[in-house]
Amino acid sequence: MKRLLAAASIAVLAAGMATTSSFAEEKTAWRLFVSDHGEPVINVVDALTGNKIDTLPLKGPASLYRSASGRIVFAVQGKADMVSAASTGITFEDHGDHGDIEITAPRLTGTEIAGTKPSHFVEHDGEFALFFDGEGVARILDEKKALDGETSVREVKAEAPHHGVAAVFGDYVLLSEPNKEKPDELPVGIRVVDSAGKQVGDIRACPDLHGEATSGKLMVFACASGILLVRDADQGPSIEHIAYPTSLPSGKATTLLGGKGLQYFLGNYGADRLVLIDPSANDMFRLVELPTRRVHFAVDPIRPRFAYAFTEDGQLHQVDIVAGRLAQSVKLTDPYSMDGHWSDPRPRIAVAGDRIVVTDPLKSQLHLVDATSFAKTGDISLTGKPFNIVAVGGSGETHATE
Amino acid sequence: MLKSIRRALILSVITLTSLSAGHAFAEPLKVVASFSIISDFAKNVGGDRVEVTTLVGPDGDAHVYEPSPADAVSMASAKLVLVNGLHFEGFLQRLVEASASKAAIVELTKGITPIDFKKEFAEAEEAEGGHEGHNHGSTDPHAFQSVVNAKIYVKNIADAFCNADSAGCDTYNANAAAYTEKLDGLDKEVREAIAAIPQEKRIVITSHDAFGYFEHEYGLTFLAPQGLSTDSEPSAADVAKLVEQVKQDKAAAIFVENISNPRLIEQISVETDVKVGGTLYSDALSKANGPAATYIDLMRNNIKQIKGAILGS
Repeated sequence: MKRLLAAASIAVLAAGMATTSSFAEEKTAWRLFVSDHGEPVINVVDALTGNKIDTLPLKGPASLYRSASGRIVFAVQGKADMVSAASTGITFEDHGDHGDIEITAPRLTGTEIAGTKPSHFVEHDGEFALFFDGEGVARILDEKKALDGETSVREVKAEAPHHGVAAVFGDYVLLSEPNKEKPDELPVGIRVVDSAGKQVGDIRACPDLHGEATSGKLMVFACASGILLVRDADQGPSIEHIAYPTSLPSGKATTLLGGKGLQYFLGNYGADRLVLIDPSANDMFRLVELPTRRVHFAVDPIRPRFAYAFTEDGQLHQVDIVAGRLAQSVKLTDPYSMDGHWSDPRPRIAVAGDRIVVTDPLKSQLHLVDATSFAKTGDISLTGKPFNIVAVGGSGETHATE
Repeated sequence: MLKSIRRALILSVITLTSLSAGHAFAEPLKVVASFSIISDFAKNVGGDRVEVTTLVGPDGDAHVYEPSPADAVSMASAKLVLVNGLHFEGFLQRLVEASASKAAIVELTKGITPIDFKKEFAEAEEAEGGHEGHNHGSTDPHAFQSVVNAKIYVKNIADAFCNADSAGCDTYNANAAAYTEKLDGLDKEVREAIAAIPQEKRIVITSHDAFGYFEHEYGLTFLAPQGLSTDSEPSAADVAKLVEQVKQDKAAAIFVENISNPRLIEQISVETDVKVGGTLYSDALSKANGPAATYIDLMRNNIKQIKGAILGS
């Protein structure tokens, strides 16, 4: 079949060559998808020009998550009991010696997954698992369905509603195990279920489970006692608990991010620290001290050596993952106190190519920082309170004809 | 000023130490080897004059390897980085960038005669646009599967060590010569083992197409469902095609590889009624207590497994 397609493509190409000439042009595009803290919208902004491209209407204020391919952004609308999918309009196709970029208008695809209290979103092995705390259910779909506007999902159900998480892992699903005595508290472990929904092996203990990330071939869940490290093994997932070393001060990670390009994990550890987790190193856990309490942190998907942290004194810090320390800092905003509600409007970080973008919800602005010089280079104004932000884009060839 | 004085003193100490005591007190040459087979070559050539850090260790798969911050630290402090080249190490570029390493990067396949992948694999790779992280193109990178090429790797390592540490050059060349002699013996063993297999039985199946150079050098045909890289997933149609091919070609044996998931090979074994003959070591050595802890043991293990499965051990 592949060969038929290839033959057909060659035929089409040959026919095209008879009448037109085609040429390749290098094109770069980056788009910012920015939710508002109070309004049910996603503002789509051209990160290169600062111009707003469109405003996509939602059912409620949203947290945003982008897919690994960058083709889809999911808007998790906790207060509206809804998760919506938006096509970013930027698609890459790998052609081996080059990549093509196709740019179309961003749009809501029509995929809307309803459920009570949507919370954690996890993409793994090409599938998205959306967990609905109010039902204790994970609803799973793939990118093609989300792009096509489909709403059919497969469901995996935990034993009780709880603030949980699920992740597809090959033919299995890893599902948080609720605290049966106190379902309002955090989960107590991970249950592995097969494609028929049957439990495989014992529950892997992970007290106060909160935080999950993937980096390279590894997946990690954060527990009060340490981490669960998940690897692919011959007979399904292999799950190992690694305790925090006694040399670390008392604390735990509750949010994890996975490194891109380098295999590591970055988490919070206390209010004014980050923890670097390198499962391959003898010194697996390293702490990075921050000058004040942490507001948000993000990894750089393009420059694997760096991650970024924003602190309540209004500074953005460049974290050197290899050296395990802060390398540079730049002041961007007025102070944002971490006192108050955890979900108050505070800055969030995204990386768009050579630009680091930080939302400043109380000033209705996005601040731009050059990733190389680590100097502030400009602002983009938006109405409302720009809050959650994700960036998609890159460079590729376009093949125009004349 | 103080720093300059201190540096001058340190330099004097190093120089005096080198002159007076020779190698006994010198720092070993810090070398990073991209994967375990190269690491074994480097240790044989460098002896105790080099300190080798291996990125992709025993039973590890360089095709899908994800480097870590600890790897970047090793790269940053290395003077030499030995790699296979021919796009084998898809992770290399980003690791070099992340580490800001100033080390010389030496491609050990320099001087070998590259061969192309078998046509069907090259077409599949092209149709799928390579795979995540890198694209092999049509050139097979697994040149170390021919002992003749392994000797070129060894020579390249000796040259690189001489460039980086001229004081040890005689040692490196002597070590390389001694190891090359062993490789000559190994080459002879492989040829004799294959010669003992009847021509019509010289067809085997492995997980991924890592044995092109072995096939080219020694005349044993390998069929593989997984194509060039362990990172590519064969389609059901690809597997069905291979099953049919196996039946027609009457493959004599089927093997799992140490770096690949065995499930696919087991499925083909069931469908073709050709039993799994054992484990071949393709892109990595075994752990120290395994049957392929060195390159020489790896090749010996592979020919023993192949010969045993086809002829009966």
